[in-house]
Amino acid sequence: MAEQRGTVGGPVLTEWFGRANLHKLEVYEKLGGYEGLRKVVTGMSAAQVIDEVKASGLRGRGGADFPTATKWSFVPKDHPGPKYIVVNADESEPGSAKDRYLMENSPHALIEGAAIATFAIGGHQAWIYIRGEYDLPYEKLRDAIAEAHAKGHLGDHPFGTDYPLDIRLYRGHGAYICGEETALLESLEGKRAQPRSRPPFPAIKGAWGQPTAVNNVETLSTVPWIIRHGGAEYAKRGTEKAKGTRMVTVSGDVQKPGNYEIEIGVTYRHIIEELAGGPFPGRKVKVFWPGGSSAKVLPGSMLDTSTDLDGLKALGTMGGSGGIIVMDDSHCVVKGAARLLRFYAHESCGKCTPCRVGSNWAVRTYERILANEGSQIELALLDRVQQGLQGGRCLCGLGDAAGWVIQSTMNHFRNEYEEHCLHHTCSVEGALIHA
Amino acid sequence: MSALSSHLLEEIKALPAKYPQPRSAVMPALDLAQEELGHLTPEAMSEVAVALQLDPGYVEGVATFYTLFHLEPVGKHRFYVCTNLSCMLRGAEDVVDRLKAAIGVREPGEVSKDGLFSYEEVECLGACEYAPVVRLDHRYEVDLTRGKIDSLVNDRRLVRSHVKTGVRSSLDTTPEPPRKKPVRRTKKSG
Repeated sequence: MAEQRGTVGGPVLTEWFGRANLHKLEVYEKLGGYEGLRKVVTGMSAAQVIDEVKASGLRGRGGADFPTATKWSFVPKDHPGPKYIVVNADESEPGSAKDRYLMENSPHALIEGAAIATFAIGGHQAWIYIRGEYDLPYEKLRDAIAEAHAKGHLGDHPFGTDYPLDIRLYRGHGAYICGEETALLESLEGKRAQPRSRPPFPAIKGAWGQPTAVNNVETLSTVPWIIRHGGAEYAKRGTEKAKGTRMVTVSGDVQKPGNYEIEIGVTYRHIIEELAGGPFPGRKVKVFWPGGSSAKVLPGSMLDTSTDLDGLKALGTMGGSGGIIVMDDSHCVVKGAARLLRFYAHESCGKCTPCRVGSNWAVRTYERILANEGSQIELALLDRVQQGLQGGRCLCGLGDAAGWVIQSTMNHFRNEYEEHCLHHTCSVEGALIHA
Repeated sequence: MSALSSHLLEEIKALPAKYPQPRSAVMPALDLAQEELGHLTPEAMSEVAVALQLDPGYVEGVATFYTLFHLEPVGKHRFYVCTNLSCMLRGAEDVVDRLKAAIGVREPGEVSKDGLFSYEEVECLGACEYAPVVRLDHRYEVDLTRGKIDSLVNDRRLVRSHVKTGVRSSLDTTPEPPRKKPVRRTKKSG
C-alpha cells in the first residue's frame, strides 16, 4: 500500500489517525468513538446539540465558511414531513483531497458526525453524496455503515432509544458542479446537476422538496470531537474569529505533498515549507493557490500570509476547500492558468450564459496565446472575459472562480502574459514554445 | 431481444423503492446497465427509461451530463488520467504520452485493437498528494512513472484470460484475498 501522506495523531480530526484499522468500528469505538452520538441521543436535546456546536465556532469546511450551527438552526423545527442532512462528499476542487483522506482513514467519524447532525435538525435520515471516482472511500463508508447498523448505533433504536437514525449512500457520476449544494441536490434527485435559483434555500426546500442542511465531510467529521470535548475546548484553538483546526492538502511543486491538519492562523510558509517540505532544492515558490483552484493566487513573496479566513478575505482570496497548490519557478503561470480554464469550461453546467460562453472564450484565447498567436488583443480580451465571468452574474460561483484565475494570475504575473502575447517566448519553460 | 438481461431489468425496477422519490433511481440504474454492457447504447437507455417509467429523452439527458457514463464503447480497462494542475505539475503530460504508446492508441476514447484498453483525460481525481494519478479498474494508481504505466498495461495483458484481474491498487489497505497466479499464455506449436 502507498503510505499515508499527511498528519497522523493531530489535534482534532486526525487525532486517532495512524492507529491500525481505525476504519473498523471496534477500533474506533475503543478509542472513544460513538461516545458523542451516544451522549446526544441518550441525554441531549436538539437545541443543546446546536448550542454546543455554536460554542465551538465551527464553520463549514467545504469552501463557503458558513457557521455550521447557524445552518442547522435554519431548518424549521415544526416541519411536519421528513428533514434531511445531505453530506457533500463530492470533493472535486482541483488541489483538494482532504475529504478523501478523512473518509479513507476514519469513515466512522463522518458517520457519527452525520448522525449527530441529523439529530440536531430533528431529522431521521442522512444522505452521503460521494463522487463516483471515490471507489475506496465508498467501500469504506458502505462497510462502516453496515457495522454501525449491526452494532445498533444506527437503525430504529440507536443506543436503545426510540429515535430512528439512518444513513444512506448515493454515488455521483462525474461532475464538478455537484460540489455546489443545489446542483448536488438536483443530482441526488436524479436530474442533470444544474444549480437552482435561491430562494427557496435548501433549509426550507432542499432534497426531494424537504428541509435540508448540506454539510461537508470535514465539517461533520469534526462534530463528534466537539461533542466529546465540548464546544469551548474546540474554540480554544485557532484565531479569535476563525476557530479550531482544519485540513489542507498541499500538492504540486513541494517535497512532501500531503493532507495536513493545521490550527487556523498558522502561515502558509509554515504549511508549505515545514509541513510539506518546501520546494525542491534550488527552486523557489513562485505562486500558490491558497484554497483550491478557485481561490485567487498569491505570489511566493506572500508566504507569510496567515490562514486566518478573515485575513484571506481581506486579501481578496479565501481558504476555500483547503487545497494548496504550489508552483515553483520552473513552471509557467500562463500554462497553468490555461489548464485551469479548460477545467472550468469543461465543468460549466451550461445553465448560465456568462459562465458557459465566457469560460470557452477564455479557453480559445489561451490556446491562441500558447500557440504563439497572441498579441495585445489577446491580453485585452482575457481582461474583458475575466470581468464578464465575475460579479455574481450566474446562479453559482463557478464562473466567478474561472474569472479569478485569469484576473489574479494576470495581476501578479503580467510580465509572463506579456512575454507570451507580445514576444512569443516563455523564459520559464523555454521548451514549451516552438516558434 | 432486449439489450439488458431480464434479471438486470428486474433489479432496476426494484431501485425506485430505495429512494424518497423514484426519479433518484435513474443514475444507479444507468450504472447497472453500463456495468453489464460496458457502455450505454440507445437501446439500453430506452429500456432503463421503460423500467423506471421515465421519458427516454430524459434518461439520455441525464446520461449525457455526467462524465462517468459512456455512450461509446470503451476498453475493458479504462484509464482515467488526471491532467489537472497538481498532476500536470508532476508530469501528467508524460503519463498521457507514455500511456498512448503503451496501449497503442492515438487519441482519448479510442479503443486499442485487442479491445483491452482506452483512456480519457479527466479533471482532478482528488488524490493530489500522490500526483500524477490515474483511476483504473475502480482503484487509484499513484506516483506514476513511465515504468509504472508500462507495468499496469503489461500486467493486464498477461491476465487477460481472467475475468477479474486481481490487480490491486497501492492505495488499497484491505487484506489481500488469495488468488491464482496469472498464467502466461504461450502459443501452441504445430
